[in-house]
Amino acid sequence: MLLYLHVPFCRSKCGYCAFHSQVPNDDAMQVYLDAVMREIALWGDRLGNVPVETVFLGGGTPSMLPARAIDALLNRLSKTFAVKQGAEISMEANPESVVRDTFLYDIHAAGINRLSLGVQSLNRDLLHILGRPHTAKQAVVAVEQARKNGFGNINLDFIWGLPGQSLGNWLKELKSIVKLKPDHISCYSLSIEENTPFEKAHDDGTIELPSDDDQSKMFLYGAEFLELQGYAHYEISNFARMGYQCRHNLGYWEGADYLGLGPSAVSTVNSRRWSNVKDLNTYVQHVESGEIGNNTEALTPHERMQELIMLRLRTARGLRLAAYKELTGRTFMEDFRPMITALHQHGLIKIRNGYLNLTKRGMLVSNTIIENLFDAMDRLQGLKC
Amino acid sequence: MAKLDHIRNFSIIAHIDHGKSTLADRILEITGLVGERDQREQYLDRMELERERGITIKAQAVRIPYKAKDGEEYVLNLIDTPGHVDFGYEVSRSLAACEGALLVVDSTQGVEAQTLANVYLALDHDHEIVPVLNKIDLPSADVDRVSSEIEESIGLDAEEAVGVSAKTGLNVDQVLEAIVERLPAPQGDKDAPLKALIFDSWYDSYQGVIVMFRIIDGTVKKGDKIRLMATGKEYDITRLGVFSPEMVEMKELAAGEVGFLCATIKELGDAKVGDTITLASNPSSEAIPGFKEVQPMVFCGLYPSDSQDYENLKYALEKLQLNDAAFQYEAETSQALGFGFRCGFLGLLHMEIIQERIEREFNIDLIATAPSVIYKVMTADGVTHEVDNPAKLPDPSKTEALYEPFVRCEIHVPDEYVGNVLKLCEEKRGIQKDMKYLTTNRVIITYELPFAEIVYDFFDKLKSYTKGYASMDYEIVDYREANLVKLDMLINGDPVDALATIVHKDKAYYHGRAVALKLKRSIPRQLYEVVVQAAIGQKIIARERNAPLRKNVTAKCYGGDISRKRKLLEKQKEGKKRMKRMGNIELPQEAFLAALKIGDD
Repeated sequence: MLLYLHVPFCRSKCGYCAFHSQVPNDDAMQVYLDAVMREIALWGDRLGNVPVETVFLGGGTPSMLPARAIDALLNRLSKTFAVKQGAEISMEANPESVVRDTFLYDIHAAGINRLSLGVQSLNRDLLHILGRPHTAKQAVVAVEQARKNGFGNINLDFIWGLPGQSLGNWLKELKSIVKLKPDHISCYSLSIEENTPFEKAHDDGTIELPSDDDQSKMFLYGAEFLELQGYAHYEISNFARMGYQCRHNLGYWEGADYLGLGPSAVSTVNSRRWSNVKDLNTYVQHVESGEIGNNTEALTPHERMQELIMLRLRTARGLRLAAYKELTGRTFMEDFRPMITALHQHGLIKIRNGYLNLTKRGMLVSNTIIENLFDAMDRLQGLKC
Repeated sequence: MAKLDHIRNFSIIAHIDHGKSTLADRILEITGLVGERDQREQYLDRMELERERGITIKAQAVRIPYKAKDGEEYVLNLIDTPGHVDFGYEVSRSLAACEGALLVVDSTQGVEAQTLANVYLALDHDHEIVPVLNKIDLPSADVDRVSSEIEESIGLDAEEAVGVSAKTGLNVDQVLEAIVERLPAPQGDKDAPLKALIFDSWYDSYQGVIVMFRIIDGTVKKGDKIRLMATGKEYDITRLGVFSPEMVEMKELAAGEVGFLCATIKELGDAKVGDTITLASNPSSEAIPGFKEVQPMVFCGLYPSDSQDYENLKYALEKLQLNDAAFQYEAETSQALGFGFRCGFLGLLHMEIIQERIEREFNIDLIATAPSVIYKVMTADGVTHEVDNPAKLPDPSKTEALYEPFVRCEIHVPDEYVGNVLKLCEEKRGIQKDMKYLTTNRVIITYELPFAEIVYDFFDKLKSYTKGYASMDYEIVDYREANLVKLDMLINGDPVDALATIVHKDKAYYHGRAVALKLKRSIPRQLYEVVVQAAIGQKIIARERNAPLRKNVTAKCYGGDISRKRKLLEKQKEGKKRMKRMGNIELPQEAFLAALKIGDD
């Protein structure tokens, strides 16, 4: 099982972000910590001492927690579940919040072995547009400090396709990123999320995104550049040096069970899915009353099949064709032959060793491909009746 | 049995919307044949489509008993004829069953080309014609102008025209009197061998084929063994009667009368319009002249948009053909559209009607390929072939000569649009034959035109060039050699058979570019580049490129995002249009239809 622990606090809210977070006061932080501790215990009782391969502290900004709180949480987790020897234990952090006292040393000592820094950009103007509370310089220092404090697995998060960003800017930025020698790089194209200040600015026309053509090139050329630098493009937005793929996230794409803890966290265990409420106080109530996790929904075979296709096709490895057969009893290649032929002819997919995967150009239009597959799946279902 | 001199057989000639059906309704009402309670609009137009479009597709006949002002009882047989050029042959047979006609002209509009064509047809049959000016209650009625049009164009004395309002019933009684007084009674010998003209027939699932006929000579009784002279087949009459307006059985009918019969005739094709009925025991020595086999003139492919509807479509076509011997179909396969049918029609209206009936009465979504005429192809071996499907045109290297049908076309138009009409006809490769003034401001223009151009977009253009004021009529005259080529449309290098057309070489470039552009515009961006080409043989004459879709990707999809993303993709999928595969890409049906839709935007 994968464990995800959501920390819903941020120092400030970024204009593009739709994630659930709030600016904390000391009280809220303590209330949260107490509740999460109880939730861990609750699931321990319910699920037993299940083996856990990875732990991921995400947010929000987990690095806003005091180091000793992180230590306590990890302690509780490893006492409750069978966290495996050598498990990947990731934590998301903001550059400005890790460089303080002995924080990096302490969290490393507490067991965090993979640090994911939300750098987002190394360009001052773009950081300003994004509303990030740190500078590029702080990011560089954070990487150096993390290395010095023993982190052997560092990820840097970036966003591209930003207002005013050119293809040249982005490729130049990638060069600077590579110079920091991270082990893993996530490059997300900016998506305009609902109910964010960015959405409003975008609708108003106050911000303008790069053209479709430029964005496509940012994706394709950027990925090619990173691969030349030794970073494998193993998922639509993720690149890693050999051996440094994020096991936790790969787990999501490969359909592993995951338990999400904390407000707004989602879990999927044994094909049942549920999500915790977003609001901290309600969350606390649900933990105290024990009703947390009572709202599970079974995924239908159809939904499971859709998710199998949607998630596996995000990865470079792709969809194991046998997995489709195991789930549906049918043959993928036969079910979708005309479409597969066309996609293959046009270099959008590859098929090898029993796997079907999207090429880079295929990834770029993956939503359209998946929609088409979903549509074709419905027609198959129609035929069956 | 009615006395010969107390019978009047008449038809009503009118342009669409000039009020023929309304006048018929009033006549039925005034004579008391149809009570208030049974009234419905356009009583004689039985098909929903006829009523809705205000046109008559099938001929109908109704026997109206009428007590005239002279105190005598008359039998009036109203034979309602189809009013469209596509059904010209049926019109001529209906007219052959009458001695006279009412010419209904809308006094707010005037004489139209089609009216005139039918009037000439009636005059050819030596009919007596009573002009009726309709809609005289409307303020825009111009009785003087329309009267002089009738006098000048037809040579009828409009002094005696009856001014009516079919809508209000004003003066309709005068029309009835005029029928009795001015139209001749039929002639014929009731003791001569039977000679009756079939002017309509249709299929009834309970009674088999029902035949409408007019007796020229002789007498027919229930139980008689009849012979149909064109086929030589013989049948026993099981039912005999008249429509008045519902079926009324009669023991016998004699010369001059109009009626129906059932004789367990199983196929409509066995009781062809125009054929002569006689008695097997005492046959007439000669048939009524004028019989001919009707041949489809316009062809197109009909395909179900959903291939699962193929069987339903086949059923629909079978059903429709039961009642429409002029409509033909045969199975065909298109690479682009799958399984469907090549269908032949009398004309464009006939085609539209059949398509509409399939979609409406049988609830099948159709894709129709562009209509085509019949071309004649002489191959190198000197053999002439008929081609009704452009995709089947033989290779140019094997073709000696190509011939296309020409029509003689009469266009009536107010003189201010003459310039536009001439321009249009010249654009359409027309040859001017005649041009004369019908009245001081209405002109008849006569052209010979390739039928293919008429079928292509002539009507639409004529309408827009003359703001709808022109009316036209045409008939096929002959085949002429022409410099024709097959224009192929290719999508990503693959020819799409359903989009192939035969065009005049001089127009191929223009046409190819237009269709390529239309396709390009209506194909949404695909996952990959789409190249649309127009080609004559191996030569590409137009090329349009549709750039591939650039970016549609979800950046982040982790544990908390999965349900939402799945639902989002599911929703996007639902917005997808139904696709047809063409070549190696999937096209939304709209794109395909846009490319098939002929003419300019």
